[in-house]
Amino acid sequence: MGANQSTGGGPPGGGDGKDKKDAKKDKPKYEPPPQPTTRIGRKKRKQAGPNAAAKLPTVYPTARCKLRYLRMQRIHDHLLLEEEYVENQERLRKAKAVLTATPATAGGDSDALDRNADERSRVDDMRGSPMGVGNLEELIDDDHAIVSSATGPEYYVSIMSFVDKDLLEPGASILLHHKTVSVVGVLTDDADPLVSVMKLDKAPTESYADIGGLEQQIQEVREAVELPLLHPELYEEMGIKPPKGVILYGAPGTGKTLLAKAVANQTSATFLRIVGSELIQKYLGDGPRLVRQLFQVAAEHAPAIVFIDEIDAIGTKRYESTSGGEREIQRTMLELLNQLDGFDDRGDVKVIMATNKIETLDPALIRPGRIDRKILFENPDQSTKKKIFTLHTSKMSLNVDVDLDEFINQKDDLSGADIKAICSEAGLMALRERRMRVNMEDFRSARERVLKTKTEGEPEGLYL
Amino acid sequence: MAKEDEKPTPVDKGKGKASDTVDGASAPEKDKDGKIIKDGQKGGLPAEELSEEDQQLKSELDMLVERILESDTSLYKPALEAIKSFIKTSTSSMTAVPKPLKFLRPHYEKLEKAYESWPAGDNKTSFADMLSVLGMTYSDEDRLDCLKYRLQAPSTDLDSWGHEYMRHLALEIGREFQSRLNDDKATDDVTDLALTLVPFFLKHNAEADAVDILSELEMIEQIEQHLDENIYSRVCLYMISTVSLLTYPDNDRFLRTAYKIYRRYKQYTQAIVLAIRLNDQELIEEAFNSTDDKSIRRQMAFLIARQRIGLDVSEDEDPELQECLNNTRLPDHFKALAKELNILDPKTPDDIYKTHLESSRTAGLTNTDSARHNLASAFVNAFVNAGFGNDKLMLTEDNKHSWVWKTKDEGMMSTAASLGMLMQWDVEMGLDKIDPYTDHNDDYIKAGAFLATGIINSGVRMDADPALALLGEDTNLANKNINVRVASIMGLGLAYAGSNKEELLERLLPIVTDTNLDMQLSAMAALSLGLIFVGSAQSDVSEAIIQTFLDEDRTKQLKDKWTRFMALGLALLYFGQQEEVDVILETLKAIDHPMSKPTSVLAEVCAWAGTGAVLKLQQLLHICNDHIEEDSDEKKGDELLQSYAVIGLSLVAMGEDVGQEMVLRTFGHLMHYGEANIRKAVPLAMGLISPSNPQMKVYDTLSRYSHDNDNDVAINAIFAMGLVGAGTNNARLAQLLRQLASYYHRDPNALFMVRIAQGLLHMGKGTLSVNPFHTDRQVLSRVAAAGLLTVLVSLIDAKSFILGDSHYLLYFVVTAMAPRFLITLDEDLKPLTVNVRVGQAVDIVGQAGRPKTITGWQTQSTPVLLAYGERAELEDEQYLSLSSNLEGVVILRKNPEWET
Repeated sequence: MGANQSTGGGPPGGGDGKDKKDAKKDKPKYEPPPQPTTRIGRKKRKQAGPNAAAKLPTVYPTARCKLRYLRMQRIHDHLLLEEEYVENQERLRKAKAVLTATPATAGGDSDALDRNADERSRVDDMRGSPMGVGNLEELIDDDHAIVSSATGPEYYVSIMSFVDKDLLEPGASILLHHKTVSVVGVLTDDADPLVSVMKLDKAPTESYADIGGLEQQIQEVREAVELPLLHPELYEEMGIKPPKGVILYGAPGTGKTLLAKAVANQTSATFLRIVGSELIQKYLGDGPRLVRQLFQVAAEHAPAIVFIDEIDAIGTKRYESTSGGEREIQRTMLELLNQLDGFDDRGDVKVIMATNKIETLDPALIRPGRIDRKILFENPDQSTKKKIFTLHTSKMSLNVDVDLDEFINQKDDLSGADIKAICSEAGLMALRERRMRVNMEDFRSARERVLKTKTEGEPEGLYL
Repeated sequence: MAKEDEKPTPVDKGKGKASDTVDGASAPEKDKDGKIIKDGQKGGLPAEELSEEDQQLKSELDMLVERILESDTSLYKPALEAIKSFIKTSTSSMTAVPKPLKFLRPHYEKLEKAYESWPAGDNKTSFADMLSVLGMTYSDEDRLDCLKYRLQAPSTDLDSWGHEYMRHLALEIGREFQSRLNDDKATDDVTDLALTLVPFFLKHNAEADAVDILSELEMIEQIEQHLDENIYSRVCLYMISTVSLLTYPDNDRFLRTAYKIYRRYKQYTQAIVLAIRLNDQELIEEAFNSTDDKSIRRQMAFLIARQRIGLDVSEDEDPELQECLNNTRLPDHFKALAKELNILDPKTPDDIYKTHLESSRTAGLTNTDSARHNLASAFVNAFVNAGFGNDKLMLTEDNKHSWVWKTKDEGMMSTAASLGMLMQWDVEMGLDKIDPYTDHNDDYIKAGAFLATGIINSGVRMDADPALALLGEDTNLANKNINVRVASIMGLGLAYAGSNKEELLERLLPIVTDTNLDMQLSAMAALSLGLIFVGSAQSDVSEAIIQTFLDEDRTKQLKDKWTRFMALGLALLYFGQQEEVDVILETLKAIDHPMSKPTSVLAEVCAWAGTGAVLKLQQLLHICNDHIEEDSDEKKGDELLQSYAVIGLSLVAMGEDVGQEMVLRTFGHLMHYGEANIRKAVPLAMGLISPSNPQMKVYDTLSRYSHDNDNDVAINAIFAMGLVGAGTNNARLAQLLRQLASYYHRDPNALFMVRIAQGLLHMGKGTLSVNPFHTDRQVLSRVAAAGLLTVLVSLIDAKSFILGDSHYLLYFVVTAMAPRFLITLDEDLKPLTVNVRVGQAVDIVGQAGRPKTITGWQTQSTPVLLAYGERAELEDEQYLSLSSNLEGVVILRKNPEWET
């Protein structure tokens, strides 16, 4: 914003015009300053430079109290003042433009007065189209740079004045004019497209209501993940740091992923999901880079929740290994360790991990400080089983003779997924016989089948 | 089911939030929705969705409610007790509504009706007690049921209902109180209830809530009686940090209450800081005399002296005390610091310019205007070696080689005056050094020597009053030479700034009123009086100045460029007086002259300086709205008016962190839309908002303005860069200024200003500060702010003053100069070396526990330098500090409990 102000031509005919004219006469004689004082070309720093002046101050204390309210109100008042001033000035400017425009071009319509649209179209003209995408190799001075285009050759080109120079830095993706190859724009989103895929745009349909039981687990997850994002002041008042992340573990089919889906469904925070195996990449260093970018994207879109499913794919215990592939996987995990509790503060990023083999995980990964809460998912007990059964059967058309208590009271070791399997199996049986209602018999045989396939997996006693 | 269960959660959370009006507005709607969903679902879904325990709880509660609704009175009491115990014992998570409350919700209206029908008695109050709790979660926000039933149940056992309930009750009390005030109803019952809440809050680490409720009920004074040893400091801290955001009279009451609390708990030094902040002479004396402890009184004397308040103690008392009050030992302390930091060697201007680092191609082309160059060097020399009493240009062995001879005319005056700054505070030595110049034949040198006398005496008081004796003589004040007279007048103003000395009235007032005199003389006299009586609303002076504006003989002279200083003198009288200024504003309205409007704006911004009052800022922005185009004399006043308004923006906003940051954004807009007169004031205002506080965002913007097409803007931006970095030795600023020096090597005006800025940057070799806020950025020094303002006003038209012949106006900055050190003394006022941790100050208001007050600290041994926003604390507890904040001169006392 500022760069335009100071260079944007002297103010029109002010009070002491004479002095200014002298100054203007002298101006061209000046040699340009030896070094450009603008800070382009260097790595941009956060919270520094003139842009920081445009940022709103942070408001302390975080606890809810009148002091905080008053400070926020003060900021609000100041913003109102600014708005009022800018609006007044824009109105005056328009009024003046009408005055000067009417004698020149009679009946200059109000659309032409809309400077913004006008300027924008002019910039579009200058940009031209189509545009090429290139890479900024090196900045020479304020107006020139060396770029490489996608096709290969490198060019020494000029940078158009309307390009935001604060965004330019070596390695950035830039837009190039199709003929002159001059820099006409900057592509800011430099995150890997792989990461942006992980961002969940459409919320899953499962909500907390679709979870039978697991009250304890739901409560723990919400306290650790959602509440710190919604009400950080509660933790501040207590004087504690909210947990950074949770790990969900337990036997297969107990609803770990389901719960994560419900969290994604419920939260307004950015939800990033990734499977541990996705982090294993073909090329060396790609895995750790992906982890870094994942957390970078999360921090940019904070508040955010990162869900890593099947963490045991990369999180196994470290051991002496000669295989390059295994070492790479371990390095990926080390990067993850660093992102979870490293030097940089992650801020409003919460991590949920899920695994069914917590004992194989590296102890460093799940130590307090990285993962503060370990939430165990157990196979459902009687009452939970009942809830799960009612959940799954609530939309099925059941015959009157169906009494689910029979299955509930049996001492089978059923997981939530098994129960779902029984229900759908029973439905399939009914379908086979072209019945529109599922009866008790269907359920019984479905249970038999499910239990049979389940025990088949583990050949019990065979080798004992 | 589960989903609907969650729904009310955010709603209830919102309700609990104190003073969250937005939530309050939307909550009732959602609330109704919640109810509707609930009802619909009750019909649609079978009850077995609930778990068995929940079902049991629900039916039990239903049964209890039934009992209450029935007519059997004997069952009432046990039923009520049972419900209450259900509510109290339910351990809920933070994320959901407690189950009993959820199940009781559908019955709420029935219960309310039942309550109406009950006869008065114990049962009824008990019932009300319960309804009050239910009312918290169910009723619409504006019904205030919680409070309504609470008032009907005078129970003592409030805190058993928990924290959330107490907060909600406090919120409703606040609302009810406001609505009753509007309707002119009695509020005794509400306030009594509030007072029962306060001890609970204080006990439970919620001092913010306690203060909030009392301030809401406009009875903050009551808090004093509920405090104890442990909590009072937290309460006071919270109250004090709220003050800057409150409006009159609340802020005054807060400060006075905090003052009383500090006095009660024998924190005299903290009490006196507040008294100084209130600017109440009686209160200061009361605090000062409230203890017999010699050392504490001396410590208080140092604090008073820092604000330059003149206070006299009776003869028979401790002579050292008067010395502390008079700042007489300041030069010794300062030199001790210099010795410790090993910076006693004088620096030459060339050491500062570092021309070898400037771009080489300009070398040899400079020095086109050598007298002017030498004058700049004199100023730089003065700023850099200020207070050290030792330099290489002026204090040479024989006077023949003195730098004075290398300058011309007015330059000689400023150069001679630089002696004063070199010998600053050290009156006895300094006067000896100046003596040879005072009897000189050349009037310029003589004038400079008088000015130097005034500068030396700035900030210290001597019993003998040498400045008054030397400068007050009729031969000086009524000298034939105008420069000698101006210098004497200005010297008196500098020496006695903020002293309210009546003797000066009779000497200077005639100069103001004498219509035959030149405007320059009268204006300077008015300005000096303004400085001397700054913020006192002295009626004699203000009348005299107003009279001058009204005087027929003067009307012609009022167009003189010096008139603005007359106006400034008037404005300074009302510094920080807030509403008191309105009388003057009314009077000024009656005067039909182009100068009257700028004068009233100046007076207004001075009166509201450092308050952060948003309404004033709005008025000032309105003034800046117009565009002035015609170049006529009538418009001159309006141009000045807008420039003053811009500077006023920062003067009003300074001292309040939020406003200080926000006003920077406004400056960006002003620069964008404003005309030349506004644009050239913006850099000055940015400099004023953070003097001696080089923030990156400020000096980066200034650095951009320093290349502006409009030369005036550029020059002012350069000066502002110097002001922002004054006394910090900031390396980046130094680099920027060196670049500017080679950029502007052919523009003598800009180059002169770059040199001045470089001198300011290295002021006192990096040991001084011009920030008007001191004592942990709490207290605004009126004298310092007035001095800075004077320099800035002169820079609005830099070409006719600072860049013209009146560069000596720069010396007004001397009133703001103060060492930014921490010196520790023992109880006999001997220097004492202890280890302190110095680090960035942290705002710890409202944080739980005992958080650290500084961060990123380093351990150093005293004396040490403190940059802006830095705080120090003692490393161990061997000594106890008598002052609450380690800044300036601090007396340490041996800790009797210390064991090695």
